[in-house]
Amino acid sequence: MAAFSFTKYFLRSYFCFKCVDHVQTRLQTTTRMFCVSASRSSFQDAPKAQFTDTEVQDLLTRITGLDLQKVFRPIRQQLTPPKYKLMTDTELEEAVCKAEEQAKHLLKMPPVLPERKPVNDVLSEDQMLEGMDTAKYVFTDINFNVPHRERFIVVREPSGTLRKATWNERDRLIQVYFPKEGRKITPPPIFKEENLRVVFEQDRHEDVLNQCIVQFEPDSAEFKNVLMLTYEDIEKHGKYDLLRSTRFFGGLAWHLVNGRRVDGLLVDMLQRDLMQDAVRLVRLFNLVHPQSESAQQAQRQQATDLDLLKIYAQYESNRAGFIELAVQTYEQTKAMSSF
Amino acid sequence: MHIQELAVLRQNGSLLTTHWNSDLPHISCHFTTKYSNTGKIFACKHLNQHEGLFTRFVLQGIRDWKIISSAAPGLKFRALSSSSSSSPPSAENTESPETLSRYSDRPWEYLESEEYIERYGAKPVWANYRRNHKGGVPPQQTRKTCIRGDKICGNPCPICRDPNIIVHYKNVNLLQQFISPQTGIVHDPTRTGVCMKQQKLLNKAIETARDCGLLAVQLPHVDYSKEDYSNTHGAVAPTPAPVSLRSGELWYSWYGSIKPDERELARVKRIYKDYLKPDV
Repeated sequence: MAAFSFTKYFLRSYFCFKCVDHVQTRLQTTTRMFCVSASRSSFQDAPKAQFTDTEVQDLLTRITGLDLQKVFRPIRQQLTPPKYKLMTDTELEEAVCKAEEQAKHLLKMPPVLPERKPVNDVLSEDQMLEGMDTAKYVFTDINFNVPHRERFIVVREPSGTLRKATWNERDRLIQVYFPKEGRKITPPPIFKEENLRVVFEQDRHEDVLNQCIVQFEPDSAEFKNVLMLTYEDIEKHGKYDLLRSTRFFGGLAWHLVNGRRVDGLLVDMLQRDLMQDAVRLVRLFNLVHPQSESAQQAQRQQATDLDLLKIYAQYESNRAGFIELAVQTYEQTKAMSSF
Repeated sequence: MHIQELAVLRQNGSLLTTHWNSDLPHISCHFTTKYSNTGKIFACKHLNQHEGLFTRFVLQGIRDWKIISSAAPGLKFRALSSSSSSSPPSAENTESPETLSRYSDRPWEYLESEEYIERYGAKPVWANYRRNHKGGVPPQQTRKTCIRGDKICGNPCPICRDPNIIVHYKNVNLLQQFISPQTGIVHDPTRTGVCMKQQKLLNKAIETARDCGLLAVQLPHVDYSKEDYSNTHGAVAPTPAPVSLRSGELWYSWYGSIKPDERELARVKRIYKDYLKPDV
C-alpha cells in the first residue's frame, strides 16, 4: 500500500514537469523499484496458498479420490422396494456420470475458517434495572428471512447491562428457535475425551466427523478441536484410508501439510501405488510452504512429477530412503511395462 | 387358612421373615398384597404348591409400604428348582434381583457367557417369545409392565423373564438386537413382545448409546455452499462507533434540502411567539 501511494505521488509529480524524457526515465526507475520491492516482500510475507484457492481445492479433490462404491455404500434408511431398469451401454455411462456428479456434491469439503472472534459488545448499562430479577433475559430476533449470522440476539443481565449474546448462547438459541436436523442444543457426550477414545478404537472416525459437522459451526473452537483430535489420532495410527473418498480427506491433508507432517501420508500413498496422488501432495506442500527448501529447489529446476518427489525426499522428508526406493521401483516397473 | 408366621419389616427396609416355615419347599411363590383401610396392616397371601398360607405382615406405616414396594420391584419369583445354583437362599429373597444378578455391574458380559448362548444361541432374545392374546390381531400395545411390586405376570416379556438381561446403554449387543439392521429404526414392542416399561427403558438406553457414540447414527448431509462466514454484520461484530459530526454538517442529509412552507412557518411562529428564542 505504501509503495503504491509512493508511486502515485511520483506519477503526479511527473506530469507537472511536462518533460517527456525525464518522465519516462523517472517512471521506469520508480516502476523498477516498485517491482523489486514487491518481489522481496512476497518472499518475506510468503503468499501462502489459502484453503479456498482454486488450485489448492483442485489438488485436494483429486487426492480425495472418488470411489463410488464407498460413497454410495448402503446406509440405514427407510427401505423402498428396489427398482430395476433395462439400459443400453450409453445410458449406463450417463447414469454413472450422474452418479459421479452426485458423489462430487457429497464430497464437498467443509470449510476451513479462522476461529471466530468472541462477541463482547455492551449495548447499554442501566443501573436502575439492577436487582430486578435473578435470571438473565434473552431477546432473539425470530424473523424468518434473516440469515442466522445477521440475527440480533441480546441478553439483559440481572445487573442491568444489555449486551450481545456470546457465540455459544447464539448457537443454542438459534437451535431452539430454528432447529436443524441432527443438531442437539447441548453438545452430545460423544465429544468428550473418553468417548472419543472408544470410538477411535472402533475405527469410526468418519462417524465422529459427521456428528461434528452437524453439531458445530465450522468456525467454532469445538469444531476445530474435534477435527484436530481426529486428525491427530489418524496420523498417529496411520489410518489414512478410513477417510479416503470421504469429504474429510481434504481437511486432513490440509491439516498435515500446514503442520509439515506429510511423511506418513506420503508413505501410505506410495504403499498403495498412488503415485499421482503423492506428486499432488508434494505440489500442495510446495504451494503452502513456498520458502521451504524443496519448494525453492523445485522452482529452480522447474521439476515435474517424480522429480518433485525426489526433491522432497532429498530436502524435507524424514523417510527419504523409503520414498526414493518407491520412486525407483515405480520407474523400473514403468520401464519394464513399456518394453 | 390361618396365620402361621409373622413377617416384620424393619426400619431399614429389609424384611425379616424369622418364623418362616422352611419345611415347605419353595417351588412356586405367588405374592399378592392388599392395601387395607387403616393403612398399617397389610395382608399378604402366600400360595404354595401344596397349600395356601395366609401370612400377615405388620408394617410400621405407609412409609414402609413405599419401602416394600421399592425394595421388591423386581422380585422375580420364577420357577426355581432347589438344585439350581442360581436360586438364591431365602435370606436373600429380601433384596431385589437386580442386585442378585451376577451381571448387574457389567451387563454386557452376560451376552458372551455360556448360559446365554445355551439359552438363546445366535438369535435375538425376543425370537422365541410369543404373546398370549385373544384373536388373530394382537393388541397394538403390549402390557404396561410384567412386574408389579412382588408379583410377576404369567408369560413375562423377553427382558423381564431373564434377570441377567439388563437394559444398559453400554450393553450395545443387547440394544442392537432391538434395532433393525437395515433401517436403523427401533423395533415396535408388538414385534418384540417387550412390556411398555422395558420399551421405554430401551428407548432411553438406545438414545444415550447413540449420544455417546456406541451405536451408529445416520445423519443428514450438511451443505456449506449457502452460508456466508465473514462475520461482518453488526449482530456478531462490534458495533461501529457513531459518526461524529463535523462542524456545519447536518445529522440527516435532507435537513437542508427540504424547505418549509412560508405561510405555515409564519403561522407557527405567531402561535408560539412567547416561547421562541429572541433571535429566531
